[in-house]
Amino acid sequence: MDLVGILEQGLIASLVAMGVFISFRVIDLPDLTPDGSYVLGGAVTVAFMYAGLPWIICMLLGGLMAGFFGIITALIHNKLKVNSLLASILVMTMLYSINIRVMNGPNVSVPKEITAQQEAQYTEKTKLDDILGMSSLKENQSNLQINETKKTLSPFRENSGYNSTILIGSVVFVSALLTIIFLRTELGIALRGYGGNKAGIKNLGMNPEIMSIIGLLLGNFFAGLSGSLFSMYGGFSDVNMGQGIVVISLAAVILGEIIFGKLNLFYNMLCPIIGAVIYQFLLALAMRYGYIIGFQSSDMKLITALFIILVIGLRRVEFKKWLSLKTSE
Amino acid sequence: MKKVLTTLFIVFLFTFTFGVKIGITQIVEHPALNKIYQGVIDYLEESGVDFEYEHQSAQGSFQNAITIANKFKTDVDIIVAIATPSAQAAATEIKDKPVVFSAVTDPISAGLIPKFGKNPGNVVGVSDMVPVETHVNLMRTIFPDAKNLAILYNTGEANSVFLADQTKKFAPQLGFNVIEITGTNANELVTSLNAQANRIDVAYLYTDNLVASSAEILGQVFEKNKIPVVAGDIDIARKTSVLGFGFDYYQVGIETGKIVLDLINGIKPNEIESRIVGADALTFYINLDRAQTLDVNIPQQFLDIADEIEGIL
Repeated sequence: MDLVGILEQGLIASLVAMGVFISFRVIDLPDLTPDGSYVLGGAVTVAFMYAGLPWIICMLLGGLMAGFFGIITALIHNKLKVNSLLASILVMTMLYSINIRVMNGPNVSVPKEITAQQEAQYTEKTKLDDILGMSSLKENQSNLQINETKKTLSPFRENSGYNSTILIGSVVFVSALLTIIFLRTELGIALRGYGGNKAGIKNLGMNPEIMSIIGLLLGNFFAGLSGSLFSMYGGFSDVNMGQGIVVISLAAVILGEIIFGKLNLFYNMLCPIIGAVIYQFLLALAMRYGYIIGFQSSDMKLITALFIILVIGLRRVEFKKWLSLKTSE
Repeated sequence: MKKVLTTLFIVFLFTFTFGVKIGITQIVEHPALNKIYQGVIDYLEESGVDFEYEHQSAQGSFQNAITIANKFKTDVDIIVAIATPSAQAAATEIKDKPVVFSAVTDPISAGLIPKFGKNPGNVVGVSDMVPVETHVNLMRTIFPDAKNLAILYNTGEANSVFLADQTKKFAPQLGFNVIEITGTNANELVTSLNAQANRIDVAYLYTDNLVASSAEILGQVFEKNKIPVVAGDIDIARKTSVLGFGFDYYQVGIETGKIVLDLINGIKPNEIESRIVGADALTFYINLDRAQTLDVNIPQQFLDIADEIEGIL
């Protein structure tokens, strides 16, 4: 088991979990946009890496673009008065096409050091070629195109001079710190108030629409940041990589809450981070030792969903009664 | 007594240590990809080398693909990565052990290798690219009057987009007008096909996972609209096509197994050529029943070299 690798992946996932925590817990607006904005973060980052911008700028741009789509979700939710879940599903669906546009295809790899490139083509002679009279037509390609453009290389490659664990750790640390500081400002407190009572904010003379915009912007910014780190770390960005990311993040948040309970803001911010690392660790354990109990990796989603249902259920008194099979008589 | 037992157990462990450990990672469970996995294992077992293996599927989750790559980094000696995302994850995570990719149509764009042939580094493998140029020529020969050529693929699949670009490069040279019929799920694909069915003269299907999994229903739509199909994948061809020219994925597995065997025998990854599955693994399939129904005339010389003929003359 590569404990460092598990920790790094858990920390990358913890950023999305932080975003989900903000939308589900702080402002209490269920949001599925991260399924798309996570990918957008990665796509935008890789696109700008090819343009040669410094990676940290690429990463922030990826986060900001993702955050922008959070604003769109909030606008649909506010102006058209639709449920935030439906609004976010619409935006997530939009993002599928947008991501393919941004990456100019469904999958794009992070720039590599070796820049010589060849156009791949089938050049071997097949048995049909003679009958079709095309044996002479095949272009024999071996010309290498050397790409001279300035590209940014991933900070996670070997010999980049960065320690990947420290790099990811510091991004997560700074994000969490800034979020905690922000949530302690007047605006941040209003944001938490909005989560507690959506109408009550109006009585304080504040605009609830602005609160939802800020909350979803933040939540998706972190989702984009996570996707951005993931694509640099994994070496590619793919249009399907955001599937089910919200559910996994929610499981991570709930795991964290079981450990910390609801104490205060500082501990609450730790929930998604610790939860995501633990979730990743459990996943690795299941992959390694799961076969003993007949577990296979496809069961992970079932277990995750059942786990969330169970934990949410345990908060409900009726459910507890039903579990203990006590009749109310 | 305990001590004796423990000692015996340790001795037992040492006497039964296996040879090389191979880790196989694939992005999803899918008939074609599973055939590759089967091919690799069968080839190695037949060659009689001492090995054990572990097979993990990422279930379509890219985070899992990286988790698996991380696990293999410490647990196995040789990594076999099936399909593009799994290969990308393995090649990024693992630098000190050989990574053998398989079923990656365009490993160059995927950033796995800079060119086919020998490359520096630890990544080597086989591409399952199909001879698009040959396919287009075949369609021109069999359907001399056809104008509109339809290609069906999933826009979310890197391999398919690459082959679509290849088709758009070669087909117009032979006077075809390419119609793209795309979708991201079976429902969209069939709707798109139904919407444009009356314009299509001939359809061209290649190794797309979505097309493969919805081949049955696509076959029905083609049959209903009397559209002849040529496929670049034998499994898809059996369900839909008049002509098929492609390889069986089991063969791709065997080709991958050959590279793994070389590595077990101590050859370094930078001394092995990355290549496209050879032309000798290509199978030529003809379905005479469909040809008769659609009034397609297939010259005798094609029948002479067919590997698999369905139906009666």
